[in-house]
Amino acid sequence: MAEVALNGLSKRYAGSGELAVKGMTLTVADGEFMVLLGPSGCGKSSVLRMIAGLEPISAGTVSIDGKVINAMPAKDRDIAMVFQSYALYPHMDVFNNLAFGLRRRSVPRDEIERRVNAAAAQLGLTPFLKRKPHALSGGQRQRVALGRAIVREPKVFLFDEPLSNLDAALRVTTRNELIRQQQDIGITTIYVTHDQIEAMTMGHRICIMDKGEVVQIGPPLAVYRDPANTFVARFLGNPPMNLMRVALEADAGEARLRLGTLTLPAAAWPADRLGALGSGALLGIRPEDLYETSPRPGDDSLLPLPATVAAVEPLGAETLLVLTLDGVEEEVIARCGRETRLRPGGRATIMLDSAAAHLFDPATTRVIARIGA
Amino acid sequence: MAAPGNLWLGHLRRSPLLLFLLLYTVLAGGPFLWVASLSLRTTPEIFAHPFALPGPLHWEKFAEAWTRSNYSTYFWNSTIVVVTAVVLLTVIGAMVAHCLARYQFRGNRLARFVILSGLILPPQLLILSLFQILLEFDLYNTLSGLILVYVAAHLAVTVYILEGFFAQIPQDLFDAARIDGYSDFEIFWRITLPIGTPAIFTAVTLNFIILWNEFLYAVVLLTEDDKRTLPLGIMHFMGSHQLDIGMLATGLMIAILPIILLYAFFSETMIRGMTAGAVR
Repeated sequence: MAEVALNGLSKRYAGSGELAVKGMTLTVADGEFMVLLGPSGCGKSSVLRMIAGLEPISAGTVSIDGKVINAMPAKDRDIAMVFQSYALYPHMDVFNNLAFGLRRRSVPRDEIERRVNAAAAQLGLTPFLKRKPHALSGGQRQRVALGRAIVREPKVFLFDEPLSNLDAALRVTTRNELIRQQQDIGITTIYVTHDQIEAMTMGHRICIMDKGEVVQIGPPLAVYRDPANTFVARFLGNPPMNLMRVALEADAGEARLRLGTLTLPAAAWPADRLGALGSGALLGIRPEDLYETSPRPGDDSLLPLPATVAAVEPLGAETLLVLTLDGVEEEVIARCGRETRLRPGGRATIMLDSAAAHLFDPATTRVIARIGA
Repeated sequence: MAAPGNLWLGHLRRSPLLLFLLLYTVLAGGPFLWVASLSLRTTPEIFAHPFALPGPLHWEKFAEAWTRSNYSTYFWNSTIVVVTAVVLLTVIGAMVAHCLARYQFRGNRLARFVILSGLILPPQLLILSLFQILLEFDLYNTLSGLILVYVAAHLAVTVYILEGFFAQIPQDLFDAARIDGYSDFEIFWRITLPIGTPAIFTAVTLNFIILWNEFLYAVVLLTEDDKRTLPLGIMHFMGSHQLDIGMLATGLMIAILPIILLYAFFSETMIRGMTAGAVR
């Protein structure tokens, strides 16, 4: 059990002018499941490899339980890692793959057997202990990789996109398996992924990275509801948050936002911040906050938006509507019930939940916090 | 099931390829089979009917060749030289290949260039300088001198074969082993070598075959009869004025027997090693 702290962690690869990781500061609490989420090339795997001791640190520190481990070799860090490729030793059977790390640590033979058999039973691998990795399915290999980490009983688990080689169905079951295992074992876990569903469902907290920098850290739902900038707003959520240009207007001294034919009250945002924006801002609204019909009749925060349906995408459980709002340049996506009768080319009045809308500064892309938020 | 007409059409389409393979087999295997048949015939029989099949099989010629011309010494010398050289080549070559394939260090590319440039140097170019060097170090006319020359001469091709294979072993395996607590040498020993077995077999088999038949270095660097290796020993049957062609064929068959056995046992592993893709 351990707390992992990164302080000003940076990485510059040889021959590259730009930093791959830029002064990252993050504390992962004892027993916490932290997810590093970001697009390919954002530096999340570099962070993981620096924590593991596989990559030299260019600047900053990595500490476990308050002890700086920058100079400590990987083998002495008491960390286990699950790789995207699983990295199973192809010349060893499952038993020896699981026991390989324990043998090096001079664990007594009977203790190795006990731990390996326990992990194999826990992961349903007992019938496959004598098989080589090439004779296992993708899911079984993934479980062997997880088992290899579990038998070590390390201080910290590191996962580098461990589910990305699995097919969609297996990914869901393995994801649930991983969540259960982490809850049972309670070991501090840092999990790297570019899959937002994994991040939302697995992490106690998620740390969103972009271009080597931490953009936002927080519990998954909090980050989803209150994105720090347009990158998070677009990256988290599928379909992503709709972003539309709005004009700032003043009506009898009261600030208002003009979105196509609609005028929204802007009293929820601080007047000085709005004043600093100049003429325009970006309004963000999640697809689920646009309604085909008003869910709460009489609620003032629901505002009508005349629109033309550009496309209808039935997904089974729900239907996505691609809409062109009158007077608005950007197309928007609304998530509505599967029973919708709207058809491409048809007209609709979409209800926008202004209480769920976000306002972003187009210059900095950062969110403008609501008053009292 | 294919219709009989289609079957014949299929055979017809393949016939040029089959003809080519047949011709190639006759060209490649014919001389070998001829020498094999000569090895069981006496020289007068051969001169009488060069291309006849062996009538009575003279197996006793093998024992005679072995005893009459110091063959046991040549065989033993060849075994010592080739086995030692191949072991050294494999160990040193695998270590070099592992380092070049796995570690990014300053001078990596230069080291690779220098080592692999050995591939383009013909032995004729080196033989005089090697002769002089071995004389200087009292290694001329010694088996250890020849072993050193063989190791030096074949290191490039060994590294070339092994590095190509080792480079395809995924980096994640090495990272996993490092996290599992293993040192660099242990990783080489426990990960690279076992996974690289097909390539190592290839290198061992190729080096063994080439060195077992090596003539040029041996004939220049060994002059004493009790130091000679098998390819030099065969010359015993070739005098200045006469040629005992029957015994020469028998000697050749004895010399080539280890190679045939080696190839029979390891040819599949060798081909697998040469054609293997990434390790999954």
